[in-house]
Amino acid sequence: MTPIYLQRGALHSALGADLRAAGAALQGGQRPVSGSFLLHELQQPRPYLAVGGCAENRPQRCDRLLGETLGEQPGELDDCLLIIASTSLDIDDLEQLIAAEGGFHPEHSTPLDRLAEDLRQRWGFADAFTLNTACTSAANGLLYGARMLASGLYERVLVLAFETPSAIAQQGFGALELVSPSGVYRPFHPERDGLILGEAYAATLLAKEPGDAPLAKLLGGFSACDTSNLTTTHEDGSHIDWVMREALRSAGVDIGQIGLVKLHGTATGANDRAESNGVRLLFGDALPPLCVLKPWLGHTLGACGLSETLLLVENLASLPGVDYAAEALLPLIAQPTSIAADSLLLANFFGFGGNNASLILQRCTGDQA
Amino acid sequence: MKPVIAACSVRGEARCSDKDLKAALSQWLATPPRRIDRMILQALLCSAPLKARVRSDCGLYLASRHPARATMGALLDAVCVHQRQPKPFEFVNSVSNAAGFHVAAQLGLEGPNLFIGAGTNVWKQLQALAALDLSDGVITQALLVVIDENGDFQAQAVLIEAPTNAQGFAELTADIEVLQLQAC
Repeated sequence: MTPIYLQRGALHSALGADLRAAGAALQGGQRPVSGSFLLHELQQPRPYLAVGGCAENRPQRCDRLLGETLGEQPGELDDCLLIIASTSLDIDDLEQLIAAEGGFHPEHSTPLDRLAEDLRQRWGFADAFTLNTACTSAANGLLYGARMLASGLYERVLVLAFETPSAIAQQGFGALELVSPSGVYRPFHPERDGLILGEAYAATLLAKEPGDAPLAKLLGGFSACDTSNLTTTHEDGSHIDWVMREALRSAGVDIGQIGLVKLHGTATGANDRAESNGVRLLFGDALPPLCVLKPWLGHTLGACGLSETLLLVENLASLPGVDYAAEALLPLIAQPTSIAADSLLLANFFGFGGNNASLILQRCTGDQA
Repeated sequence: MKPVIAACSVRGEARCSDKDLKAALSQWLATPPRRIDRMILQALLCSAPLKARVRSDCGLYLASRHPARATMGALLDAVCVHQRQPKPFEFVNSVSNAAGFHVAAQLGLEGPNLFIGAGTNVWKQLQALAALDLSDGVITQALLVVIDENGDFQAQAVLIEAPTNAQGFAELTADIEVLQLQAC
């Protein structure tokens, strides 16, 4: 695959108001403070990591994010594709409407491309579409957006990924018993008890040229569907192993060149077991440093492919460890760890619908940065 | 080599119940999946007739203008009006790529599986995504599916084996015989 630059990036998350603040919190070991919601019927609290401190609604937030990513004078965007990667889309509006009106009517349903088309018209993008492959949405947005650039379809691609607080998502993951009752987010811990959902808004501008201060290069990736189960992947890790191998192949990278793996690490029983097996199948005993980022952002669902990628590439100088590394299914980094800035990174993202995706990335350093 | 291998177009009136769609699907699949919603049924209805022509190294590029309204309605009513937990299978079906999962599982597709919201340029966008995987040799076939339900519904599937760049379904399938089905 032709390397494509992440020229700029922006992130609003529970960890910080912007990417720089989130990085400072990550490197300072300051975990976000979770709020909570009540599971209906059971009336039990479950944690939630919300973005704090701002009264913006979703459209205002997305506009600000686009502005931060494109710069003060974005110019004409008629050479730029917009890809929206999200599972929530406008569900926040619908939830309010249905609650207010006392019930759903078919005419309440909004087109799935409504937000993309609205942003295309208002900002003047050449084209726009919504990509929704559950928790691999943003990873696929990066991968396919980059390849569309490389094929010459567009000069630039803007990937906008977000997950808003959604009662449907909160109660749905709760009904599947996938949300952590303890509120302690511990991917790969033998007594892990589930995920913590997180709100996030992220954007990046992809281009063939590095621009003034590029964040990273996307060197390759692969995405495929495991049809064994709608909500889990092969527990033996064989599909994950295959996806990671294909991602490496697309980037022309050998296993031994990988300097760090950013695991998907949802802290759910089946996912972590499958990913642990897949990683061991691929690397054997020669495991590179392994990190998890969901304890810091929450599981940002369709946005995690971008929210975690941005946080990762900006903080290689001090990635946090976990205090249970010795017990974990995989040997996660235990102490804050510095990874060489030009290391090749493998980042995993898996989702409902059997979607498994892996990306190969490299932070831009030296003159490029 | 002709890039388009086969195509199917299914129409149904608004009065078609999910039971009608299940009955229609049973003509093409011996054991259709259980507990699936209307959008999954529609995706399967237009894809299953192409099963004999599909190889395993095929990608799926699926789009719908709307989510399955009945599923969304049941979820929203349960959670936002009645303050109840959603039924797990309804929540899982509400994931947009659930339809893609079931099509891939039933047809034995092992390639990429993407879902996009269908707008004005949906056929061009699906072809562009599929062309990337076909050109890179990731797959040797691509199944493009578009579902549109607004009262009556139409579900269309096209199987291709090389990149295409048609304006829409009609141009894409101009040189082949399209299997036309009426769901009820």
